[in-house]
Amino acid sequence: MKKNVLKRVLPVMMMTSAALGMTACGSQSQTAAAPAAASADATTAAATETTTAAIAEAATTAATSAAAETKAPVQTKPLVVYLNDFDAVIPDLFKKATGYDVEVVVGNGAETMSRIEAEKSNPQWDVVWIDSMYDVYNLSKDDCLVTGWEPANAANLTDFSKALIPDNKCMAPTDIHAAGVIVYRNDVYTEADAPKTYAELADEKYKDQVGMADPGVAAPAYPLAAYFMDDLGLDAGKEYFSKMFDLGLKVYPKNPQVVAALASGEISIAILQESNAYDMVSSGEPISIIWPEAGAPGSTRVAAISKSTQQEDIAKIFVNFLLDPETQQQLVNTGDEGYFEPSVNGVTLKAERAANAKLAVADEEFGAENEADIKAWFADMSAQ
Amino acid sequence: MKFKKNTADHVILLILMILVLLPLAAVLFQIVCPGLQAKKFNLKNMLLLGDVFVRPLWKRAFLDSLFLSVGTTVLGLILAAFLAHIRVSYDFAGAKLLDIASWILMIVPSFILAQGWVYFSSGNGIASSWLGMKGISSFVFSYWGLVTVMVLCKYPMAYVAIKAAMEWYPARLISAARMNGASSFQAWKSVQLPLCIPAYCSAAMLIFMDTVGDYGMSSTITAVYSFPTLPYTIYSAICSSPARFDMAGVLSVYLMIMIVLAMFIQFKAMGKGRYDFLDNGTEKVMQKKVKPVQAAFLSIVAGAFMVLSLGIPIGSNLIMSFSDSISIRRFQFTFENYKSVFAAGSSLKSGILHSLSLALISAFFGIIVGFCVAYVLTYSKTRLKKAIDMTTLIAMAVPGVVLGIGYIFVWNQKWLGYVGLHLYGKPAILVLASVASAIPLINRVLVGGMAKVPESLLIAAEIQGAGFWERIRTVLLPLLHNSTVSATLAAFGGSVFNLAITTILYPPNYSTLPVFISDSYNDLKFGIAAAATIVGAVFIIGIMLLLELLLNIKVIREKAEKSGKAVKQGLRTSHPAENI
Repeated sequence: MKKNVLKRVLPVMMMTSAALGMTACGSQSQTAAAPAAASADATTAAATETTTAAIAEAATTAATSAAAETKAPVQTKPLVVYLNDFDAVIPDLFKKATGYDVEVVVGNGAETMSRIEAEKSNPQWDVVWIDSMYDVYNLSKDDCLVTGWEPANAANLTDFSKALIPDNKCMAPTDIHAAGVIVYRNDVYTEADAPKTYAELADEKYKDQVGMADPGVAAPAYPLAAYFMDDLGLDAGKEYFSKMFDLGLKVYPKNPQVVAALASGEISIAILQESNAYDMVSSGEPISIIWPEAGAPGSTRVAAISKSTQQEDIAKIFVNFLLDPETQQQLVNTGDEGYFEPSVNGVTLKAERAANAKLAVADEEFGAENEADIKAWFADMSAQ
Repeated sequence: MKFKKNTADHVILLILMILVLLPLAAVLFQIVCPGLQAKKFNLKNMLLLGDVFVRPLWKRAFLDSLFLSVGTTVLGLILAAFLAHIRVSYDFAGAKLLDIASWILMIVPSFILAQGWVYFSSGNGIASSWLGMKGISSFVFSYWGLVTVMVLCKYPMAYVAIKAAMEWYPARLISAARMNGASSFQAWKSVQLPLCIPAYCSAAMLIFMDTVGDYGMSSTITAVYSFPTLPYTIYSAICSSPARFDMAGVLSVYLMIMIVLAMFIQFKAMGKGRYDFLDNGTEKVMQKKVKPVQAAFLSIVAGAFMVLSLGIPIGSNLIMSFSDSISIRRFQFTFENYKSVFAAGSSLKSGILHSLSLALISAFFGIIVGFCVAYVLTYSKTRLKKAIDMTTLIAMAVPGVVLGIGYIFVWNQKWLGYVGLHLYGKPAILVLASVASAIPLINRVLVGGMAKVPESLLIAAEIQGAGFWERIRTVLLPLLHNSTVSATLAAFGGSVFNLAITTILYPPNYSTLPVFISDSYNDLKFGIAAAATIVGAVFIIGIMLLLELLLNIKVIREKAEKSGKAVKQGLRTSHPAENI
């Protein structure tokens, strides 16, 4: 009889589950008005709220003149932005600049992407703004993003950042930070003894001393792994990390845990995300930072708009706002999250940041295509 | 009447299905249908189930969880039984400390206890830097160290269950055994000990399930120190990119297999015997008076245990809340962390308010559902009993992160918006998920209480003409007063700090206390995390004391009146079931 009960209950549950979310991003009906590509060109100037205007008209207005005359979209509900940093400041900055409200959902990169994935049948976000470029690019392949649109402020992107915009223009880079500079405890190693290149980290003399964040969990750690795999080639890249694992490489879930391990002396050397490294130095920990001459793997923060958003105009205004030099300057000045290389010209970097800081990133296609395999490989290697 | 009873059983099962099974099924179904997208449906994906013995991470996580849970269950049961024995059997000044420590540990979430242990044991922590105990770090972050920390966090539910069983002495049955020639030991072995089997089995299951499904401890200690467990690996599968819900489903299956096996062992151990022994032949165990030296020794043991289990993690949080550095080695006293917590722009205040309101609502609904579930499990003859029991156990073991993702799939359907039930992105979904998480604990506490109230008492009341609600109101509720208060408080405390659920499901701009603490900790703002913990704990303990007072106010009045009458009449009242 018990079996009968289960027999009756389970199929109902299975069928109900199957019925849930049968649709994904690509099959969403596009409820938002489809503005012309240049709609958000109106953005920086669009400080005055008026009734919704034809997008082409707004674009023309913005390109030519004063904000007061620009017709801006009317907001009926706050713009929902999924992000992993700057949650404390960005709503106020945007509100002050444009009068529009933003609600943020903050989580680490993986939590945010997971939430987006789980919501695929009915997305609740309008803009995603995280340092997971390859993940966001993959969303465009699933037809989840607005594509073919470039913000007006993209004209001011640095050459490095311009090269990061993919052909389908699904996302805009807002900043790049080093996913992993080399840091070492200077009470354990002298400058002469310390490693200066990533290759040296696979040296026997640093056995059991090196740590890094998990590419599967920490948003900046995947670009780091992807860079080596792309730069050295997939096999040679795996060989490099295998050697490090053989020598006792310790993988921690996120960068702050790498910091904790460094501070406690559990490890003496790490490949560490740059703001965490500078935070350690500023809090008085005995840490030195090495920026390798060949460049440090960079993690690119990008902003992209959900294809299902009902506020596409305001979303575009938001993305364009992120590419404003003034906005990026304010983000640099926020404090501990402000260690990054802005994506646009005309922004003054943090004084403490090394003048010779050079960044390098893996190819988008390579990073996006190999993401699942590289992360699974890393997870298994670190468990052995 | 039968129709009504059957309907009630079905309604309860339906509620549990909506709260627990449906979200879980939504995740499990991902194994064959990733993302619940019809185009991805493929039965061959079932082969993933075999990967647990192939993929190094999965294999390791499975074995780590198994060994950690078994080790914690065995040692936790021994510890709980020992503490319950000395608490019930001997009269000594520090006895209450054991109860206090257990209740606080039951309410404080494992991630906060784990954070405390990290502050204490890490290489630059309190033990090493201030106490010169260099070996603590390597011990705590080893298998036996993790088992020790787990035991100290997880024993309380077992302690409460065993203590409740040991408080009553089946005097009439023992006398019968002795009159039939049994020695004192034989009577204990053949009567008293077997009657405790349900309590020991239940205690072991509570520890095992709480350990095997624990996410807070896993995410804070075990994952960081290269000891991956299933809950954390499930979290990594879900919160990885690309998200692997199918992998999370596979690992959840193995988690459930472990629980089903544990239930099977419990079922075999209990057999088909009857264990309701509370009647007018039952006496409350009288605590033995011991010599002052022995009493002092027992008090010292209780005090030392309280320091070890509660003092270290909570004390470490307190110390860290005044530290201006993440390293205790560089400790400098500061109030800055508390200032940050109370700063105008701090989201902690709204976080505390949100968490408290959620917990109050969850405790209210949780106790109603939990009471109904416990009643059905104890007194109903329904065929659905096993399914209901199994569902409550599954709810306890399924990691909150799995439940949370399942809730997104279930409650983020477009069509729900048309009927006003699109709860995802609203605080209501946190209430539902918190009720689902609270039910197992409420249920265990109430079932434990109800198991000792024979159905004959209710039947007697029915024969006297009492209707169903009157029987509940005049017989069951008074007898279960203490259990109900305990269950409500435990549900309230547990809901306030429900980290996994709130991390996954919190609505935009809706801060909660556990997320604030966990985020601060993960951002290495140890001082702020610790200060928020202390501030939050003070608020919550205050509210719980108030709740307890309110819930007990009638009893306190009655006791006062009774004792007044007793003094006047020179009589002593005794009602063995009063203190259940």
